[in-house]
Amino acid sequence: MSSFVLGAPPSRGRVLTRPRLPRRVAPYLFVAPFVALFCAFGVYPMLFTLRLSFTDWRGSGAATWVGWDNYAYLLGNEMFWGSLANSGVMWLLVVPAQMVLALLVAVLLNSARIRMRSFYRIAFLVPFVTPLVAVAQIWVVVFDRDYGAVNGLLNLVGLPDVGWLTTSEFAKPTLALLFGWKTTGFIVIILLSGLQSIDAGVYEAAAIDGASRARQLWSITVPLVRRTLMFSIVIQTLAVFQMFAEPFVVTDGGPYNSTTTAGLYLYEHITRADLGTGSANSFLLVIIVMALSLMFVRLLRTED
Amino acid sequence: MTATTTARRDPAVAPRVAPPRAPAPLMGRVLRAAGAQGFLLLLAVAALAPIAWALVSAFKPAAEIVSDPLGLDVTTLTVENYRRMFADVPIGQGFLNTAVVLVAKGSLTLFCAPLAAYAFAKYRFAGRELLFGTVLITLMLPTIVLIIPLLLEMKALGWVNTYQALILPGAVDAFAIFWMRQVIAAVPDELIDAARVDGCGELGIFTRIVLPVIRPAMAGLAVLTVMNIYNDFVWPVVAASSERMATLQVVLSTLAQNITGNRIGADYATVTGELLAAASVALVPLLILFIALQKHFINGILAGSVKG
Repeated sequence: MSSFVLGAPPSRGRVLTRPRLPRRVAPYLFVAPFVALFCAFGVYPMLFTLRLSFTDWRGSGAATWVGWDNYAYLLGNEMFWGSLANSGVMWLLVVPAQMVLALLVAVLLNSARIRMRSFYRIAFLVPFVTPLVAVAQIWVVVFDRDYGAVNGLLNLVGLPDVGWLTTSEFAKPTLALLFGWKTTGFIVIILLSGLQSIDAGVYEAAAIDGASRARQLWSITVPLVRRTLMFSIVIQTLAVFQMFAEPFVVTDGGPYNSTTTAGLYLYEHITRADLGTGSANSFLLVIIVMALSLMFVRLLRTED
Repeated sequence: MTATTTARRDPAVAPRVAPPRAPAPLMGRVLRAAGAQGFLLLLAVAALAPIAWALVSAFKPAAEIVSDPLGLDVTTLTVENYRRMFADVPIGQGFLNTAVVLVAKGSLTLFCAPLAAYAFAKYRFAGRELLFGTVLITLMLPTIVLIIPLLLEMKALGWVNTYQALILPGAVDAFAIFWMRQVIAAVPDELIDAARVDGCGELGIFTRIVLPVIRPAMAGLAVLTVMNIYNDFVWPVVAASSERMATLQVVLSTLAQNITGNRIGADYATVTGELLAAASVALVPLLILFIALQKHFINGILAGSVKG
């Protein structure tokens, strides 16, 4: 409302050589390009998918309304649950270890005595900024069973070859390693920004009280960065359940679907032109991911 | 406890209390610092090793990459992998397509997002709350949800395998608006009002007052946008995977799939050599950009983490 009071005619007291944009019209013009793109490529497709998820449409011809059938089909489908389970296992393999490691590194980087801090910051972020596809390809080569550098290293110390990408026991951990390698530096940077907001005086006081470093880490640092930590966990949970390019490039979901993540399974509906089921799968995934994030946020709240 | 406190504050008391305690913590501190340094160094090596290995191996003869992945014979280094890769793989076209998308989509983001964010932050208008609320909701949705409907939309428009398909969807993402609104909200109203009193037009206020003030955040947004567009893979592979329209990342991904089909001997070696050369070519531009602009990168990445 205040704009009506403040919004004096812009031409007052001036001779104008060209027409001026009235203050009341300006915001509409400013948001217009965004709104146009947002509606055309965001809101509209979203509503369209919602409708599509209740049909059996296969990309052409007439669509028949099938009600909740697609959802029922997925919820009774082993592949769907299998893909979720794969993502769940991936989460377990990556996130807890990654959080511990990232926190440790962030704490070290934040301590005054560490040298070459900016070198480490760059080194840890390099995996995060480099293109995933290029890195995933390097993974394919490095972890090759017969010719890869990793098995070469194992042979050097007398260990046998491991089928990193060709056996279902190792394919998931190898992909998890790729994901962890790529994103841990990013988590370090987030945690570091959280740590830097902690008042150094708190540690001085604790040191004077005779608290050991480990004790300080557990009793001061962890509670104070818990919000940042929880935030990082939410981000990583979203990322793991959407993981697509890593299995797509490295393993194509194999061997025996052991690396068909939720994101890759969703994509398989597209390649089979099963768009109704795919849309339903999209929404189920949204619901699951949102529920997981809310759960973490809830956890954070109740602990406060 | 009190002893230490006094020791710190009163130099006269210090010699009496400090000597028996000081050496042990000092030794411990030195050891701990060395341990921490070693630990970080080890991790830095682990972070850089795969990339360094690829950059170096791409210069080894293809057969050697395969037969001796860990060794390095400086006398046999060659650019053969690069030569063959440039001959076999349409990587030039990939770079060109990525460059077109980068320029067009990047300018759209950097123009539309701050402009809309300025309206959200500094004006009152009908529908503002509703619109911004929608932006916040989209921020929470996984991007993958939009893939199918967007693909269908592209098909309906006849845009599959076109630049429009690569450029327009996602050109103004909710996150950029959200971040820029926060940044612009912090620009003092007095500055804007003063400009208005001085007769500055509404658009002029934005371009001459607001934009210069938020330049650091704009730099962060620019770098983040470039990184995201350059590395983007999921949407390009779905919407524009024809050879003529394939972006750099899509071109790369087809190479890896060749490898799984080429298990035998020399062929495998050749493909691997080409693949490492291609991966190197794709890595290096971003690596240089990152090292040159790391401050802006870190700002952008930190702000960008809210996107999730």
